[in-house]
Amino acid sequence: MKAMFSQWKAELLRTARDRRFFLLTLGMPIAFYLIFINQQGGNVKIAGTFWGEYFMVSMAAFGVLGSSVNTLGVRLAAERKSGWVRFLRTTPLSSVGYALAKTLTQLTLSLFIVIVIFAVAHFSQNVDLAPVRWLEILAWLWLGSLPFAALGVLIGMAGNAAQVLGTLVYLVLSMLGGLMTPVQVLPKTMQQIARWMPTYHFARPAWNLLAGRSVQWSDVAILLAYSMLFIALAALMQRRVDSRPEE
Amino acid sequence: MDAIVEMIDVAKEFGRKQAVRNVSLAIARGSAVALLGPNGAGKTTSIAMMLGLLRPTRGQVRLLGGDPGSPRQHVRLGVMLQNVSVPDRLTVAETINLFRGFYPAPLPTLRLLSAAGLKDDARTMANRLSGGKMRRLQFALAMAGDPQALFLDEPTVGMDVTSRRQFWDELRGFIASGKTLLLTTHDLQEADMVADRVIVMNEGTIVADAPPERIKMEFGGRQLSFAAGPGVDLAQLNRLPDVLSVHTAGRKVTVRTTDSDALLRRLIQGEWDISDIQVTGAGLEDAFVRLTTEMGDHA
Repeated sequence: MKAMFSQWKAELLRTARDRRFFLLTLGMPIAFYLIFINQQGGNVKIAGTFWGEYFMVSMAAFGVLGSSVNTLGVRLAAERKSGWVRFLRTTPLSSVGYALAKTLTQLTLSLFIVIVIFAVAHFSQNVDLAPVRWLEILAWLWLGSLPFAALGVLIGMAGNAAQVLGTLVYLVLSMLGGLMTPVQVLPKTMQQIARWMPTYHFARPAWNLLAGRSVQWSDVAILLAYSMLFIALAALMQRRVDSRPEE
Repeated sequence: MDAIVEMIDVAKEFGRKQAVRNVSLAIARGSAVALLGPNGAGKTTSIAMMLGLLRPTRGQVRLLGGDPGSPRQHVRLGVMLQNVSVPDRLTVAETINLFRGFYPAPLPTLRLLSAAGLKDDARTMANRLSGGKMRRLQFALAMAGDPQALFLDEPTVGMDVTSRRQFWDELRGFIASGKTLLLTTHDLQEADMVADRVIVMNEGTIVADAPPERIKMEFGGRQLSFAAGPGVDLAQLNRLPDVLSVHTAGRKVTVRTTDSDALLRRLIQGEWDISDIQVTGAGLEDAFVRLTTEMGDHA
């Protein structure tokens, strides 16, 4: 417990000093929000809610995705490559403790990102929701970020390719999942593709909550399936790494 | 048995390459052991198995009487591995504190900083340290949990002379307090300096396991040199018991022997015509070169 907390504290300290995190992972969704809102106007109606609210959810999801695949994934890859992860295995911090500390860090960052995006929307577009609604959406975006933490772990296995792969996944998943352009205005084929994207099923329940609808179990089921897929792939790659010689 | 580590008939294969073959050893609590051998001898692979980083292909490894892979076995352990660099965006002191957080009864940060000679670098970003200081930081990390046993894989690689001296002073203090040390090195002087037991490995097997003096005696032997008078029969000298080899350079004769005392007595009592007698101990270096090349000849 104490070991995990120590690791978590160090991770947050590292993130607080990470300029890339603030400029890209947090800065991009904020910038996109301000730019795209002003192009359309926040009061355009979409999917039973307003554009200013709808796109707030999109960008919060985009930010969470970014911190998972970039911050978590790239950092994991670096720690594996530098022998640090191997070194940690000689300490009383268990692999499970390490994984939990990383997950806890990711949850903390997700919470931070979502709250910042909410604040930007609130103060720039006067987005105002009932307190319960804010909390519901916050809770969903927070817990729903877990599959992306698993995706980050998987990308962290990619070694030297992690940075490129992370950026690719970041862009592809956010575009195809309808975070950049709403699914409703996409061509039919793109809409079909979006239905298979984890990002779509991450954002959709939050969009539904905005329109006063409830979270659908199908979204939860698909996100769970994706989590299991990512974890299984990561475990498979871990076993391959373990059977390699030392020197 | 009060062993820190036990290996029983351990083998490790990577594909078709045999890194370690049928190694059995036990490291007693309170001993200072040097694992010696050329690159690729299987030292690092052995340490990795002792620490649970690798599973043996065959045989059994026990760490403090338990499964080496279990984190619980690592509470009283300090480790330095090769080829590790520390995370970015943490200072030296923060990195040490991160590690202190892993252990139930860590040493104070200041104590660790001074043991590693890094007091002035406490606020430096850890990943910007020079090679030698990085190695010293890793020593501080190994000491963070106030370990009962230290496992050091080539600890002084990259350290300068001053760093090394301070490092060995710290280590000697550590051993003197009754704790256990296992280190791998290919610097024989280092092994000679701290170890009370030397295990020589070559091509995945243990080729010698003895105190450093015995290794020197048995495998390097002692040297007896003297100036030979005209009546000395070199062929007869070669046939004497305890004689390993005879070298001549003009009238100067150098004999390598397993027992210099017995040989000297025999020469004096046999009234051999010799003068200017000198006895010197061969270095561990000689022993090591002979050990590894002789084993290499078999392969």
